[in-house]
Amino acid sequence: MKTARPVVAGIDAGGTMTDTILVDEFGTFTIGKAATTPQLESIGFLESAIEASDYRGIAIEDMFASVEVVLYTGTGMLNVLLSRSGRNIGLITNKGIEDMVLMGRGLQSWGDYSYADRLHAVTHHHPPPLVTRRNTHGVTGRMDHMGDEIIPLYEHEVEQAVNTLLDKEVEVICICFLFSQVNPSHEILAEGIARTILTRREAKTELLSSHQVRPVIREQSRLNSLLIEAYATGGGRKQLKSIEKVARENGYRYGVQTLQSFGGLTSINHPNLHETMVSGPIGGVLGARYISQIIENDSLVVSDLGGTSFDMGIISKGQIRIDQEPLIGRFKLNLPLIAMDTIGAGAGMHVKVDPLTKKVSLGPESAGSEPGPICFDKGNLVPTICDCNAILGRLNPDYFLGGKVKLNVDLAYEKFKETCADVLEVDNVYDVAEGMINMLDSEAGVALRRMLSAQGIHPSEYTLLSYGGSGPLHLGGYSRGIGFKDIITFQFAAAFSAFGCTTADFQKRFSRSVHLDIPLEAPFMELQETVLTINSIWGDLKSRALEQMVSEGHTADQIGFQPFLLMRYTGQLEDVEVYSPIDTINSVNELNRVIETFRNIYKNINRSVSDYGQTSVSVMEMGMIASVEKIKPRLKKSKLGKSKPEERAYKGLREVYFNSKWEKTQLWEMDEILPGNEIRGPAIIEHPATTLVIHPGDEVFMNEWSMLHYRHQE
Amino acid sequence: MNNQQMEEYKLLVEGQLPWPQTKNLMSSYKDRDRFFKILKIYQDKVKWDEKILLPIGEHLFIVQKGNQRLVKCTCGHEFGDYRKNWKFQSVLLVRNKVEDLESIYPHSDVCDPSWMEIREFICPGCGTLLEIEACSPGYPITFDFCPDLEGFYSEWLNHPL
Repeated sequence: MKTARPVVAGIDAGGTMTDTILVDEFGTFTIGKAATTPQLESIGFLESAIEASDYRGIAIEDMFASVEVVLYTGTGMLNVLLSRSGRNIGLITNKGIEDMVLMGRGLQSWGDYSYADRLHAVTHHHPPPLVTRRNTHGVTGRMDHMGDEIIPLYEHEVEQAVNTLLDKEVEVICICFLFSQVNPSHEILAEGIARTILTRREAKTELLSSHQVRPVIREQSRLNSLLIEAYATGGGRKQLKSIEKVARENGYRYGVQTLQSFGGLTSINHPNLHETMVSGPIGGVLGARYISQIIENDSLVVSDLGGTSFDMGIISKGQIRIDQEPLIGRFKLNLPLIAMDTIGAGAGMHVKVDPLTKKVSLGPESAGSEPGPICFDKGNLVPTICDCNAILGRLNPDYFLGGKVKLNVDLAYEKFKETCADVLEVDNVYDVAEGMINMLDSEAGVALRRMLSAQGIHPSEYTLLSYGGSGPLHLGGYSRGIGFKDIITFQFAAAFSAFGCTTADFQKRFSRSVHLDIPLEAPFMELQETVLTINSIWGDLKSRALEQMVSEGHTADQIGFQPFLLMRYTGQLEDVEVYSPIDTINSVNELNRVIETFRNIYKNINRSVSDYGQTSVSVMEMGMIASVEKIKPRLKKSKLGKSKPEERAYKGLREVYFNSKWEKTQLWEMDEILPGNEIRGPAIIEHPATTLVIHPGDEVFMNEWSMLHYRHQE
Repeated sequence: MNNQQMEEYKLLVEGQLPWPQTKNLMSSYKDRDRFFKILKIYQDKVKWDEKILLPIGEHLFIVQKGNQRLVKCTCGHEFGDYRKNWKFQSVLLVRNKVEDLESIYPHSDVCDPSWMEIREFICPGCGTLLEIEACSPGYPITFDFCPDLEGFYSEWLNHPL
């Protein structure tokens, strides 16, 4: 295995840890892990890459010289946005809506709050705007929602605004007019005027207009997308460039790739870089889609428990849910994002007891990687869930991150007793610690149930995938009693998101808002016209996609195209993403085929009883995905061996606290467990990057793909 | 940690604490003795020595002076017994003409003074604006707050008054 050449390096920088996964030409892979370094992400990147190369037994230079794709997903841009350290920008918009930035959307003032804070309106607070009101200039001119000009653009006002903004030395000028997704001519005109002034004044200021960044309906979200692109991507690109620099210094020959939030790979020179802002968590869903082909169940629930958050997603009959207007950094954006539900719950979560009311609560703060939980002994004195696990013996103090971090269990015990057990006036500290873990497990379990019932899904048809550094640690707890068809985790659970990213293909996604109603009994001529409109828009988007793909070095014959539509039953409020079964629609019959596809997908997502039968449909957005395939990791299939694990996998016994008593618990080394092996709880399977806890009576079985099936006691 | 916490509260009292920390304070559990910590910050801030029993406004406090409990302004001006409405001892400015109202809302629409007037209560000692009422003409001056000091201290704070 060690002689095989690594071809893909996937790096996923999460809030706490940076994971690297190295995939070789046969599809086998190794994993490295290091703490995330938000200030300069390239440090964590390199450390984690070095570790992955070490496991493979090759030097970092050899690794980089050998790989053909380095793909990186990080938090750089999001950090620029959250820390408000982006560029100085100016905005030109329609006269009369200059305050749109200040007013924002109501839900932006509480969108990412905990439930308690959502209820307490006194804590609601709008995110600080990305562009100041003084740098926002309204100019006369108006387009209506059909794209007809109501008031011509007053060009002298545009000139004045551009000159004032240049005098103020803004770094980017953004142009966003109402309804430019229908008719961008005012934006194009304003951009032309601005460009002339820029040339005359020899200014290096950048220009961005909303119809280029995201020509999609909903003004506030379009404006936010534009502003974030202008504000945050400068710093974010710098982080990505520094990653590329580090990779090249170590012998890498190509450009670094990153992942767009809908699941496609793109170069870090991608023009709309804000589309790559949130890509870490979605890696898991991509990985799950890949796993679903192997386990032959295309209905999955994914759950990612890390240090700070618990992310959940659903794949229903192979269909991945896309959120068209997610909330990111407390801004609503028009950005297709693989839909994930998130709650603040993770192993790094602070546990607290209110001294007045004795109420116990988790988070919302988390210890992060620096200083980390108390047991890391780096200065934090607020107990975390990780400390509870250490106190109860579920974590091996000498084998955390393979022994890189020695856990100070005594200190954790002492502080936990002082701030939690003593306040609660409970003598048995271990009972309190177990209670805290049960609380996290039940919060995560409740969140899963809530997501399932909101989708009208019955868990008995779905397989739960559990990953993330702390996923296997809490899997037995949070999946209990839900009744999934099967529960699976992985030896590489800690790097599953990074693994998922490496299963992505190179992709570009272009889309445009439309409004095409297709009535049930529309006259033939009308349908003919709809067919023509659809084809012309797809043709247009296809040529744009082709141009960009070719500019990134792909050849035209490699590129596959997938046209799609966002459709709904007329009058509904939410769209369903429909991949068209045909490239172009040449007849009314073919149009009906597309509508039939929509109906089927709608049924798959919302259950068959939701079928509307004979109802007219509307197309709200049309798009084109261009993709080029990339080499992917492959899971290795082995023969099932005997059920008893090998002697060398056994690591001894440790006292672990389960259900209010200490149990002699078997310890196993995860990498030595072989397909066919079965282990009955109480047991703990340890891995340098994660720990799988098997509760008393439960059972774990490794299948021929080396996936671990967790079975609850009947 | 305590010093740091006191610094934080001081900034909060002065309105200088940045929003993220303020939000944190709002969303987290209250320490048992928060009230007395805040009192201490006020006590350190004022130039007089009478013990503050309860803040009742941005600049007003109920204080213990000998065996009396008085309403006192930051500047030291005393308004008399806390059970009597301190507003009657203040300087009162009533804005009930359009021009008076326009002077505080320039270039803007103002209310119709025959429907609403603005009453400003000002400290005779330092001229600070202490309280404002916006109400219809003829409406009696309101007594904002007559606290049950004994009950508050014994039942809520578990502390002798």
